[in-house]
Amino acid sequence: MEKDFGVYICKGCGIADMVDVEKLVSDVASNTKVPAEKFKVLDIACSPEGVEAIKADVSGGVNTVTIAACSPRVKFEEFDLPGCIVERANIREFCAWSQEKATEETPEEYHPQMTATDYVTMGIVKTQKVDLPEPNILEDLSKTIMVVGGGTAGLTAALDAAAAGYDVVIVEKEAELGGYGAKLYKQAPMEHPYEELEEPIVFKKIKEVEANDRIKVYTSAKIDKTEGQPGLFDVTVSTNGSSETFKAGAIVLAAGWKPYDATKLTHLGYGKPNVITSLELEEIAKKGKIVRPSDGKAAKKVAFIQCAGSRDPEHLPYCSSFCCATSLKQARYVREADDDAAAYIFYKDVRTPGQTEIFYKNMQNDPGVMLTKAEVTGISEAPGGNLFVEAEDTLLGEKIKVEADLVVLAVGVVPNTREYQEYQDNLTLESSKGDAAKNAFLEANPEPEGILGLTYKQGPELPSLEGGYGFADSNFICFQYETRRTGIYAAGMVRQPMTMADAANDATGAALKAIQCVEHVAQGIAVHPRAWDTTFPDPLMTKCTSCKRCTDECPFGAIDEDEKGTPFFKINRCRRCGTCMGACPERIVYFKDFSVDIVGSMLKSIEVPDEGFRVLVLACENDAYPAIDTAAFRGKKIHPAVRIIPVRCLGATNLVWVADSFSRGMDGLLLLGCKFGEDYQCHFVKGSELADNRFSKVQDTLDRLQLEADRCQMIQVGINDYDKIPDIIGEFVGKIEDVFGPNPFKGF
Amino acid sequence: MTDTETVETTETTETVEKVEKVEKLIQPDLQFAKDVVAAGGDSLKKCYQCATCTVVCNVTPEDNPFPRKEMVQAQWGLKDELYSNPDIWLCHQCSDCTAYCPRGAKPGEVLGAIRKMSLQEFATPSILSKLVGSPSGLLVLLALPVVILLGLISAFGNFPSKLPLGDEIVYAEFAPTLLAIDLPFTIAFFFALAMFFLGIKNYWGAMAEGKKLSGSVIASIKGVIVEILTHTRFDKCDLIPKRKISHMLLLYSFLILAVATGIGFAREWGHLLGMELEHPLYIPMKILGNIGAVALLLGLAIVITNRFAKAAQLGLGSYFDWLLILVISTVAVTGTMAELLRIGNYAPVAYWVYFIHLVSVFFLFAYAPYSKMAHMLYRATAMVFSKMTGRNGA
Repeated sequence: MEKDFGVYICKGCGIADMVDVEKLVSDVASNTKVPAEKFKVLDIACSPEGVEAIKADVSGGVNTVTIAACSPRVKFEEFDLPGCIVERANIREFCAWSQEKATEETPEEYHPQMTATDYVTMGIVKTQKVDLPEPNILEDLSKTIMVVGGGTAGLTAALDAAAAGYDVVIVEKEAELGGYGAKLYKQAPMEHPYEELEEPIVFKKIKEVEANDRIKVYTSAKIDKTEGQPGLFDVTVSTNGSSETFKAGAIVLAAGWKPYDATKLTHLGYGKPNVITSLELEEIAKKGKIVRPSDGKAAKKVAFIQCAGSRDPEHLPYCSSFCCATSLKQARYVREADDDAAAYIFYKDVRTPGQTEIFYKNMQNDPGVMLTKAEVTGISEAPGGNLFVEAEDTLLGEKIKVEADLVVLAVGVVPNTREYQEYQDNLTLESSKGDAAKNAFLEANPEPEGILGLTYKQGPELPSLEGGYGFADSNFICFQYETRRTGIYAAGMVRQPMTMADAANDATGAALKAIQCVEHVAQGIAVHPRAWDTTFPDPLMTKCTSCKRCTDECPFGAIDEDEKGTPFFKINRCRRCGTCMGACPERIVYFKDFSVDIVGSMLKSIEVPDEGFRVLVLACENDAYPAIDTAAFRGKKIHPAVRIIPVRCLGATNLVWVADSFSRGMDGLLLLGCKFGEDYQCHFVKGSELADNRFSKVQDTLDRLQLEADRCQMIQVGINDYDKIPDIIGEFVGKIEDVFGPNPFKGF
Repeated sequence: MTDTETVETTETTETVEKVEKVEKLIQPDLQFAKDVVAAGGDSLKKCYQCATCTVVCNVTPEDNPFPRKEMVQAQWGLKDELYSNPDIWLCHQCSDCTAYCPRGAKPGEVLGAIRKMSLQEFATPSILSKLVGSPSGLLVLLALPVVILLGLISAFGNFPSKLPLGDEIVYAEFAPTLLAIDLPFTIAFFFALAMFFLGIKNYWGAMAEGKKLSGSVIASIKGVIVEILTHTRFDKCDLIPKRKISHMLLLYSFLILAVATGIGFAREWGHLLGMELEHPLYIPMKILGNIGAVALLLGLAIVITNRFAKAAQLGLGSYFDWLLILVISTVAVTGTMAELLRIGNYAPVAYWVYFIHLVSVFFLFAYAPYSKMAHMLYRATAMVFSKMTGRNGA
């Protein structure tokens, strides 16, 4: 494409009060070699007249547009110019609103004029390097959605996806559909008025699924392997000895859970004849009478022990979410069977999320349902096959015991993804100790059966999350259902502990994500979170050394290796964060509008003054950049020494930019990225953590330049830190000014 | 011994106590929980034990406070815990707890129901407790004084058709003082006294079992009497307007009326022994009686108005509450009317109004050990007991 440049400088929103726009035009024109006649100064660029002026030029042949006005995070509809390369130089937030108005005393290097000049120059330099992206649409894409698991969540996801017009394949490992829902005598209410027990909803859903032509069901089935990428998964399923392969576009993982192993709960009496789990009580209730296993006598005093193994650091540290409602429901079984029978519920806290709170209130009103907060300390045997529940810190006394003829342990949830994740984590841990430890581990621990059988370089199952306890959750409130494998969406108990009503809702959400996935890959755009992005990583493979850093680091396992160990991208798995670009020591990965060269050229175009300081801030565009925008919007001032360049993710930061910055004379480099660790905020899960890891090794680079390592620092900020961010930046610049002084390379 | 040493010793004792604390076997009683619900505690089960009630309560001792613990004990049907616990009577039903309860569990009403059950549990014979406790017993209870009084009147007095014998209404012509009034009422009074004694004895026994009493009985009783006469506990109840005033009016009117009745009794025996006596309105007995009647009517008016005004927030109250309010109201209204009708000399109605008055007074006295009237002795006993066990705030 022959580039025809157009640069538009807005005078509105106070820009013209801070900056001499005529001087801005002449300075930038001389910096960038774009002739001054290509520049237009607009009173208000986003006004109909302003937009009209830009569009008139575009019709006249301009195709590479730099708009020096407000933040790219606003006014994107006004400045949407299809077919053009568009760059927004943010001189409103980063200059007009966040700098002090110049006075006679203002030194030249801290003058808003210089700030604006740098930002507009960088904008044009970027457009000079950018190519107009074209979507990369792969062939033979499938829009079929595979649902793994035929329980409440899986059936709901299948029905919803089918109702939206997509073909669905359900893969269920059991011989029958229904999951745990089908094992229940009754279910806690899911319908208004949320007070009465209901027939398990799965039976209705099974019928609907069986009657639906769009849904194909495999029962007694196991997934042997899942190859490929979103839109192009090849799934091989074996049922009763025969195997079959089909194509799927996206996957809903509703693989469910199992109850925590009650044999580990001997401290709560499991193993004694009349101590059972809630699931065992369902089996008894299904047979018609609430009787105890030891002698078949009707149970009249039934004790329910909540959090049996849950919220217990020795067992499951988390709340399993549904057990309180389950025990209240089972208390109803007891009460319905006999009005003189009582249910004693010992709880840590009653947690009945959503509408189950109404059910709780209703059950609580029944005099035969007696509840107390308690720490159950043990179960001992009482005469006649009865049991004493021993508890402390109760509301009835400090130490009490209550006689019951049946004790029900409300055991918690273990997601079916956990076993493999644990195995994988332990294997990684042992491998880090050397081959001997690894081999010993492999010998002692047979590989557990997986669920998905992915043929990914990074492993056959979903990777574990720190603090995720084996669940397949994205562990972040903004990205529900998303897992670290693009195109695979978790729903129900496998995602987090939840009630059946929540599992059904969850399934709808996951089905919608799966639909988003197949539709986006059909358009050749990133699935999420950069759901508009038509660019994709395009490595110059001839220069690849097969060092495998990209295949290791990609947070989404998007890069596999061929037989020779050469990486290759599965584009539809890619989320376009650029972590591979940051990782690549050969700097061969580039996007059409984002590359090592583009950012490098931008930072090199910043004028480094002889006097004063210049500090480069590489800001994550998901959190840090909006936080700076917000600070500016609120009138907070940002140190005039800084220049800010947004990056897709801090994980995309290549070490060469450090060398570039300091060799250009920058006095400091500040990296603002998202929080990582257990409560991570990174849009790309691991990006900021990988960047931190990478920059912890920057010492070598700076040592080579004979510079202090602390001139380069990474700080974790959240989008809500807008009120702190000016001070964070100010303190960093202050440290450079006071402690390190000017970069000795300045002027070279 | 220095102060520090004292403190240390106490701490050690406490630690030892904690270690030695043994498991208590809890015996949940579903029927009892159902009974509390039936006795007017129908909101009991709404309680989810957040303890807001205990926090807002102004009259509870700080240590081991009520009413949350009573709510959970009642939910689990722990009858003995509740009955042997003076706290249910330390509650004066200010209803702050009920007003602030986030779940509408009305702890004030529930404790009221438990108090009713408690005093009926200890009162004897239990058949009377049952009759007083539910509307179905009302007719039987009324029939007793009606039959007795009608019998005595027909035997010794005159029916209104033959009255008045002279120009003026003389109630003694209708119901002769000695045989139709003193005889049944003295018996009723002493019956009530005896039954009270037995009930309170039972109650004390239940409370005192296994507990160490340390305070002096005399000093505790003295303290309680002063507290009752000054109504200091009611100062902390500010939710219901003029509650202290209305309850004090009722208490003092009863005391005044008791004095007036005592004087009347003495005068009557003087008369029987041959003293010539007139009963003009200015003699102390009449003045006291009339002051008492006015105070009683005023107190009742405030009580009844408050009940209705706060019904939405606190509930209207139980049958048990209303039975007492209605009986006292009947006593007060018919007593006042009988006097006015006598002065106005309106014979056709006067005697029957007087008759209703007699029935209601009998009802009030004879059934006092089983009705809410008994609260005066049970609460006073609980207060004495609390003082003797060193319960703070008591």
